[in-house]
Amino acid sequence: MVLLAAVALTTLVANGATRLRPTAVAFFGVSIAANVIASSATTMAQVAVLGVAGLAAAGILFVAARDSHYGEDPGWRLWVATLIAAIATPAAFASFRTVTTEVPDLAPFTSENASAVVQVAAFWLLSSGTAILVTARGAVRTSLGALLMLTGVQLLMRYAPGPQLELTIAVAWVEVVVALTGAFLIVNERAVRE
Amino acid sequence: MTISLATPLLLLATGAPVVFLVRKRVRVAAPLTLVALVAAVALVAAAPDNASTDALALQLKLTPLGRLGALALLAILAVIVADVWLDEPAYNFFPTALGVGAVVLAVLFLTTPLATYAVLLIGLLLPVGSFTFQVHRNRSVEAAIRHFAFVSLGGTIGLAALALAASLPREQPQSTFVLLVVILYVAFALKLAVIPFHTHAALLAAEAPATALALYFGVLTPMTVIAFVQILTQSALLPSIVQLTKVQDLLLGIGGVSAIGGALLATGASDLRRLVVCCVISDLGMALVGVGTFSGPGIVGGIAIALATGASATQQLLAAGTLERRADGGPARAARAPLASAAFVAGGIGLIGAPPVVAFPGRFYVELMAYAYATWLGAALVVATVLLLIAQLRVALGLFSEGLPSWRPERRPVAGVAGALIFAALLAGGIAPDAFLRPIAAFAEDFLRALRPL
Repeated sequence: MVLLAAVALTTLVANGATRLRPTAVAFFGVSIAANVIASSATTMAQVAVLGVAGLAAAGILFVAARDSHYGEDPGWRLWVATLIAAIATPAAFASFRTVTTEVPDLAPFTSENASAVVQVAAFWLLSSGTAILVTARGAVRTSLGALLMLTGVQLLMRYAPGPQLELTIAVAWVEVVVALTGAFLIVNERAVRE
Repeated sequence: MTISLATPLLLLATGAPVVFLVRKRVRVAAPLTLVALVAAVALVAAAPDNASTDALALQLKLTPLGRLGALALLAILAVIVADVWLDEPAYNFFPTALGVGAVVLAVLFLTTPLATYAVLLIGLLLPVGSFTFQVHRNRSVEAAIRHFAFVSLGGTIGLAALALAASLPREQPQSTFVLLVVILYVAFALKLAVIPFHTHAALLAAEAPATALALYFGVLTPMTVIAFVQILTQSALLPSIVQLTKVQDLLLGIGGVSAIGGALLATGASDLRRLVVCCVISDLGMALVGVGTFSGPGIVGGIAIALATGASATQQLLAAGTLERRADGGPARAARAPLASAAFVAGGIGLIGAPPVVAFPGRFYVELMAYAYATWLGAALVVATVLLLIAQLRVALGLFSEGLPSWRPERRPVAGVAGALIFAALLAGGIAPDAFLRPIAAFAEDFLRALRPL
């Protein structure tokens, strides 16, 4: 539960930040919290790949900001995104979790049901990211939404059969490409505005 | 000596950063890009049937459809690169083209659906850099941001749906898998810009350079259609959806709406590029109808339409770019570039799917299967084709409205020659359609086996 709260809080900080650099730092926090939540289903090699990808994505956005003032004020979009995520997460969890209808055990510090916690975190990130993406006005929040969603996808992929390390590397590359594309657009958008 | 299937892929993937380093020296970057693309085409053509290799723990396999798609899309890419080099130098284009070439091969050769999808997502983001130009004078940045948002949204929800479908136990209620298929379908609809998810394509058509549009609508959208059917086949989701006709109705409905909606938009298109993009949206809708019929001829027709549409759209977009540049802000007229105008009109024949070009059999199969499924669907596709014909005729008549003072070709007729090459290939395919359709038919058999496993 504490780790879920960490994911939720860091997501809210990233979502609520009005400047790009704090957004980038908060996104790195989301990435770390998500990796800690899924640590029981992650090998050391995967942790290394995911850590580097999260750091690279956050670093690219941090550098793209160029100064500490540039950003995109979410305004009312913060609350819409949070509300949508709060509604969509339980709905998605109820629709897509395992066949058992039992209520998962969610202890404060440890969980017997790690997959349930990972799935809740994944659905929270996916629904938050979707809401941010859909309501975004510019490249800053579009990039944030896409990166949050990809972090959610990384969590869901932990339980997919197949070559885990290779799939992790593939999605880590997607994360870096999304961050690079976002940074390119942020720089161009700023050039147009100024 | 046997050459690994990974060689052409690595050649293009490693070529992209090398060309990026020398991109500002167009006389070096452009020939290097073309040589790499031609070498990759030769390597794919020379590879034995069903060759396979492992890259890390991921399998690469050369299917007949993979070979056909790779050769066709890399050839289209080479034509676009030649046009950029000789007619409209844009130094950022060359590394992007090599990156897209590597993605095309990876998507067509990979056999793991999640990996295929991840690479596809990277490929759809690569052209963003070539969409933006002269950012202070137009809305190309806004168009690129919208494209980024649509592709990111579609890409991530599709990846999530695939990951969930793979990880959930098979004893799930059927509705769960059906919901995942619907999400996956919407994800692809977002990436393909089919109606009602087409708003970013409309803005791109107005603001992005013609060659960047050709890269997206000529190479990446046909690749996305092929990736869609491959991923459906490999992900084991098909048996769940075939049992529910409502899902099939939804798939066919979205395809049909896009076919007729795109054609309606094309009839009102105010410029050449918008006309081409609307025609592509309509044709992609028709391709999705073909896939949605879950029948052999429908799937063959759907994939054939996607590939032929990519070639014809490239032909028309390159010609449109030339005509617009030579119009100097005025209306595009054939008198300024007769050969480019001829290429534009000939490209329209391919986008309508009229005989004798190779686009015809695909369209015929899809319309036939649509009629077999429901009369209204078949009628809608025929109406869409008639509307496309009207739209293309209207623009062609506008191009030649002031007549032609002379039939002498324009100076540097790059787009005209590129169009003639593409049209000749489409004509050759129409005269001998077996060579084009047989590899697609082989894939359709695999699709049907995955749909109804024994």
